[in-house]
Amino acid sequence: MIRRPGGRLVTTTFSMNHVEGKRIAQAMLFAVAALVAHTSAAKCDPKPGLTHFYSDGWGIELNNQRMQHDTAINRANVSRLKLAWAYGFSNMKPRSWPLVSEDTIFIGDSGLGVVALDRATGCTRWVHKQGGEIGSAILHAKIGERDALLYLHRTEGLYAIDALTGAEIWHAHAAEAVAPFYSGTPVVHDGVAYVPLSSIEVGLAMIPFYGCCTTRGGMSAFDVQTGKELWYRPTIEEPAQKTGTRWFFVGQYAPSGAPVWGAPMLDPERGLVFFGTGENYSRPTTDTSDAIFAVDAKTGARRWVHQFTEGDAYNTACDIPGGLPNCPEPRGPDFDFGAPPILLNDANGRALLIVGQKSGDIYALNPGDGAIVWQRRIGRGGALGGAHWGLAANEQKGLLFVPISDIETWSDESIPPATGLHAIDTATGATRWEHPRVNRCPDRNCFGGLSSAIVATPELVVAGSLDGFLEIYDADTGATLWSNDSWKPFETANGMKASGGAYDAHGPMVAGDQVIVSSGYGSFGQKEGNVLLVYQLEGETAP
Amino acid sequence: MTRPLEDRLAGRGRRLVATLIDMVLVPALTVLLVMITGVMEDAEDYRDSMWMLNVFLLAVLSYLILNGYWLFTRGQTVGKRLMGVAIVASPSGERAAFWKLVCIRALFFPLLFVVISPVLMLLPIVDQGFVFRKNRRCVHDLAAGTSVVKV
Repeated sequence: MIRRPGGRLVTTTFSMNHVEGKRIAQAMLFAVAALVAHTSAAKCDPKPGLTHFYSDGWGIELNNQRMQHDTAINRANVSRLKLAWAYGFSNMKPRSWPLVSEDTIFIGDSGLGVVALDRATGCTRWVHKQGGEIGSAILHAKIGERDALLYLHRTEGLYAIDALTGAEIWHAHAAEAVAPFYSGTPVVHDGVAYVPLSSIEVGLAMIPFYGCCTTRGGMSAFDVQTGKELWYRPTIEEPAQKTGTRWFFVGQYAPSGAPVWGAPMLDPERGLVFFGTGENYSRPTTDTSDAIFAVDAKTGARRWVHQFTEGDAYNTACDIPGGLPNCPEPRGPDFDFGAPPILLNDANGRALLIVGQKSGDIYALNPGDGAIVWQRRIGRGGALGGAHWGLAANEQKGLLFVPISDIETWSDESIPPATGLHAIDTATGATRWEHPRVNRCPDRNCFGGLSSAIVATPELVVAGSLDGFLEIYDADTGATLWSNDSWKPFETANGMKASGGAYDAHGPMVAGDQVIVSSGYGSFGQKEGNVLLVYQLEGETAP
Repeated sequence: MTRPLEDRLAGRGRRLVATLIDMVLVPALTVLLVMITGVMEDAEDYRDSMWMLNVFLLAVLSYLILNGYWLFTRGQTVGKRLMGVAIVASPSGERAAFWKLVCIRALFFPLLFVVISPVLMLLPIVDQGFVFRKNRRCVHDLAAGTSVVKV
């Protein structure tokens, strides 16, 4: 559980309390409803178009700038965006991010599988059935002559399926990683998929009899053609050692943790893969937690590692007031790097690697050696951000867009929160404009922070908030040009009962004349929902 | 001369306290065995669901370690022995068959712990609620052909 403003406690993914039974029943009802809905939903051409894709991975382009050039939506016409259709997910914490082709949206529907939806109507072309949680973006790759989709199942690993039919091609997992949690999104380039590795141990630590902790995060590379693992790079090289015993029998271990749950960034020019790590799970800690890694794309060998917060040890045992036995003492602030690194050139033509931390710190690094070029702290940070899921950049304007959550989670209350959207100069880190978001609680029983990743277009910034509003800002001024509330029920194309909730996780996608976004990610006590919303410029037809 | 069974029935309060004692002791020993054996201690244990089976088997073992001997010889669990009540065959009032106590009656014991679940809580409530009938036989008594009497 995590303490929210006002002292309310909310459950986390791993909490085991009386709510679980209700959730299981709810999930079962949803599964049955989803099956019925899909059986009765309107049929459409099962064959998706596969000639044009609107993104090359989580970052839209390899540089992770999340800048969508391929769009008709601009400052002048954004007010014409209207809801075209909605789709009801099978569970209440949608976490997948869509891949969009000329006529199809591919997205993970946890509890059901991967679905291919017609962009114009939302009808279902095909379903790749699979239980469990699909937590990543959907990626496109070529396997031989076949168009394939790659994605991560949270516990089972990397899947490649046929984009035309949804049939499975291969399934792979990181062989050396113990108890991995595939929470991030891979990056695919030149026939290789780079897969970030977290660990379920962050949650297992809640079990008092669990010997915390021995696992570590990492990065694995897979051959896209075969699914064969090419290399594995743990974020902690030395294996965990026993550091003590609790209650006569339960062992204590370290080092551990430093998970990778954000998408990596591949720099083909330098031949490097950049990624950020999270906290250690136990003490003593390492110099690789809350750090940025640069590893060789061909071998996984470390080129440089830069740690930004030392001594940060945390696991979910700390979320219980007073802390369960496996909570490290002292408890660290949980200042992960979840936001994927961005590579850009500033106004002086200088290459910078931009990283944002849950602490609210933004760093510009030299991609060659990890040295800090400039740094800024925005707000007070916290275990759920600060800068949480992802930033965006407009290289031409020299702007970095930073969404700040600053929801209260053991935060430093002496620092005022900076909840909202901030545009900062990529060359200096100076603020160009900021758009604070007001807290609409208690009327909405919610918090107005921007935890979710965002997307930019040449003229706009699209961001969803924890209080359920999707808003589009002017990239030059930060003025709100369009706003829409998702905190309500929706009629859906698949007949599924659906409602919106908090915007969190991977955030919106912009493709052509559409904005596509999932509402209701509720894994950490946010308002749950289960809807995919597709907004479209009125009077336009998806190409 | 032995009194009729209906005159020897154990009080509901004593039965409740006896059950509560067992509900504390069996999990406590299970926890100890879990810690000693380390079946929940290693991340590798969570690759599949075997750890759940292991914990369940340790819980069964704990139940038998604590209660097996007295159930066999006196028809009593630790809680029932402390509260001065015992399980007998119904309606004969004779010693209940050990296999029925373990293989039928004890199967209802884990149900007591799902009372915290909003979905499943009806099961133990219905089972235990039968004690308010005149013959004070719960569903698990009916299933195993037993009654609980004062000793």
